[in-house]
Amino acid sequence: MKLKAKAKNGIVKAKVMMQHDMITYDQAKKKGVKPNFITYVTASVDGKIVYEASTSQFLSKNPILKYKFRGEKGKKLTMTWQDLLGNTKSSTKKIK
Amino acid sequence: MQRRKFLSLGAVAVAAMMPSSLSATDYRKTKPDTWTAKTVDDSIKKLYGSGKLIEKGVKLNTPDVAANGGAIPVDISSNIAAKSVALFQDANPESTVAVWTVPENGIVDYSLKIKMKASGTMTVVVEGLDGNLYVANKTLQVALGGCEG
Repeated sequence: MKLKAKAKNGIVKAKVMMQHDMITYDQAKKKGVKPNFITYVTASVDGKIVYEASTSQFLSKNPILKYKFRGEKGKKLTMTWQDLLGNTKSSTKKIK
Repeated sequence: MQRRKFLSLGAVAVAAMMPSSLSATDYRKTKPDTWTAKTVDDSIKKLYGSGKLIEKGVKLNTPDVAANGGAIPVDISSNIAAKSVALFQDANPESTVAVWTVPENGIVDYSLKIKMKASGTMTVVVEGLDGNLYVANKTLQVALGGCEG
């Protein structure tokens, strides 16, 4: 997971690229593999949730998400995703 | 009496805490029907109930013609104090794409890339803290379908 966050005037712009195939039910049927896609993404600073999304199979492959929230420089942003098979991945980055 | 007072205080404190704990919702678990609904109207009904939709205050930005249906950039922004935001489209087998929970004092400004099988209409619904549903639509052309079908 590639994560970037930059603060300006109290607003943090964050951008994340999640490496995931995002296989839809249709694709899975054709290729004979299990459907699997990211279903739930959260981001938090100091344990407080700043971004939260429930997602479906229609996000692009290796989805890129951008968002804004109120925050400061120097704090740590932690992002976690969960997919249909129950895998989770987490990544932490300092806000620049 | 002392103890009773303390307990009632606790109940008030819990009630005050509610909004922040509500901001942690996995819509896949709480509203499983939304994700299997086949039409946009159906999905909105399953997610928010039958509220009136107001076409105001929501910005949905996508290209008019998407060259690659596998990754269509979508920008959503709004100044409405929102509780949640949901994105739908009518080209794929199921219509719900994503549902965001807006944290307290959060900013509604989300971008992502989505897949679309064919040309269609995207719909974004913003659930305001006032309970109203604000909606925006955008119809776009997809040159090359993105679900490999």
